[in-house]
Amino acid sequence: MIQINPIIRLVNRNLTISINPGFIIWQILFPLIYIFIAGFAYTALIDSVPFGGKNLDYPAFLASGMIGFNIMNSTLISGIIIWNDRRHGMFEQIMSGPFTRTHYILSNIVTIAIIGLFSAALITAVGYPVFFNSVEFSIVTILLIIFGSVVGAILFGSIASIISTKLRSSEGFNVIINTVFLFCAFASTAFYPVQGAPQPLATIFYLNPLSYLVDIIRAGIFGQVTDFVITEMLLLIALAAILFVIATKLLTKLDF
Amino acid sequence: MLCIETRNLTKKYASTVAVDGVDLQIESGQVFGFLGPNGAGKSTIIKLLTTLISPSNGKISVLGMDSAKHPLEIRKKIGVVLQQPSYEPTLSAEKSLEKYGMMWNIDKKIRKKRTEELISAFGLEEIRKKKMDDLSIGQRRRVQVAREFMHDMELLFLDEPTVGLDPAARRKLLDFLREQVKNSGLTIFYTTHVLSEAEYLCDNIAIINNGKIIAVDSPSELKNRFGHEKTIKIHISKVSEELKSKLSEIRECQIKLEPEPTVIINSTKSEIVLMNILKILNETETKINDLSAIPTNLEEIFLKIVGDSN
Repeated sequence: MIQINPIIRLVNRNLTISINPGFIIWQILFPLIYIFIAGFAYTALIDSVPFGGKNLDYPAFLASGMIGFNIMNSTLISGIIIWNDRRHGMFEQIMSGPFTRTHYILSNIVTIAIIGLFSAALITAVGYPVFFNSVEFSIVTILLIIFGSVVGAILFGSIASIISTKLRSSEGFNVIINTVFLFCAFASTAFYPVQGAPQPLATIFYLNPLSYLVDIIRAGIFGQVTDFVITEMLLLIALAAILFVIATKLLTKLDF
Repeated sequence: MLCIETRNLTKKYASTVAVDGVDLQIESGQVFGFLGPNGAGKSTIIKLLTTLISPSNGKISVLGMDSAKHPLEIRKKIGVVLQQPSYEPTLSAEKSLEKYGMMWNIDKKIRKKRTEELISAFGLEEIRKKKMDDLSIGQRRRVQVAREFMHDMELLFLDEPTVGLDPAARRKLLDFLREQVKNSGLTIFYTTHVLSEAEYLCDNIAIINNGKIIAVDSPSELKNRFGHEKTIKIHISKVSEELKSKLSEIRECQIKLEPEPTVIINSTKSEIVLMNILKILNETETKINDLSAIPTNLEEIFLKIVGDSN
């Protein structure tokens, strides 16, 4: 019998239990509403947005921001998997089978990285007509989108995992996770530029890792990779590593 | 060959000793029953033996492997049905079996075959397409137990597997387990509160109370050792003062007034005591409504052993 790696087997299981028509529709529909309704509606208010050395149309600015936003949103799955596994006894069941906690943790990260990449590719394809005029696609664009998908998945997946290990009740889990992710979404550069924002708000924007993720993806799409973007990449890696270690420690300490 | 061996197995939680110096030796190819009142330490021992938790003290050997050194290797060769439900709410019963087999790296063709066999063996035909979230507790339990037979194993831990099952499903499961032990040489470590189940299924039984093993033997030997005392109940029409006075001289009997006047004999020489009581009943002109002897079953023995240990 061919021995399939335990992480791949768990990823297969994670994708089967997580992906359903409702999730896919939500993952596509939600960004579409933002890009094509909010994007064009706000054009009347926001003429153009400066980014690097360019002036972007607001729909193009928003569509590129939605890629980062969707990567973050898809990582909610990590928290939901862990929380559901604990609630429905599957965490204990898996741990009494041919798996270790490391297998379990890594399978969650791989699962959300796959979903994050899928989401990023989907929104890039959907948003392409909108940012078509300003785009500077190159191999760097693809690499930065992959970088954003993987590091963003680890970072936000770890946040979701930390929350799911700490909360038992479904109400508590939903309220906390939605509040955290909603705050991250709206206090970031995904929807609006930092230029012109009041100073306290601008500071909050750059305490939020989603802003870094969105800046990196935008830089890739519009060919504006600067030293600041490279610093953001390094910060994102460091933060993702720290949160991943914390999430792993908490999951390792979960008692039966 | 020894399948499970523990030496001075101890598990402490803060100031509570859940398992207290347990020594167990369980031979392969049998159903080993593990009985005890609530909170006696049964589930904790299962979690220790399945490497889910580590002992505070002592040694565990499962299938010849040290659990502290080879936990993953042990888990690859055992099956576990824990006490609490475990299921994927979004999957159907059939998909649950199939995916569980996939998680255990079972070949797709074998998975398909086993899924069909288990659906039939556990009577899951009507619910195979229903989502796990929509099933009753008993139906979920059946899928949970069936799922464990998707993979090969040498040792199976079943922690109260019949909870929520109706009598027919329960008997079907017990017969299925017997068959598995007979045909494949599987060893089953079985906990239950239904003592008739243990009597029907188990080759050997351990009784645990307050984290300590207080008796280990076959059901028949336990009966021989602890079942000498027989119980006879005599339902009578009335209780007079004279009767009370005369019966008070016989130590092995007691009178209960509720729900109906009854003389209860608990004695290793119950037949002799019965003769004496019948004589007294005759002298006091007390009418006998009914007379019954309660056979010595595992439940009586369990209650006696646990009662004595308390």
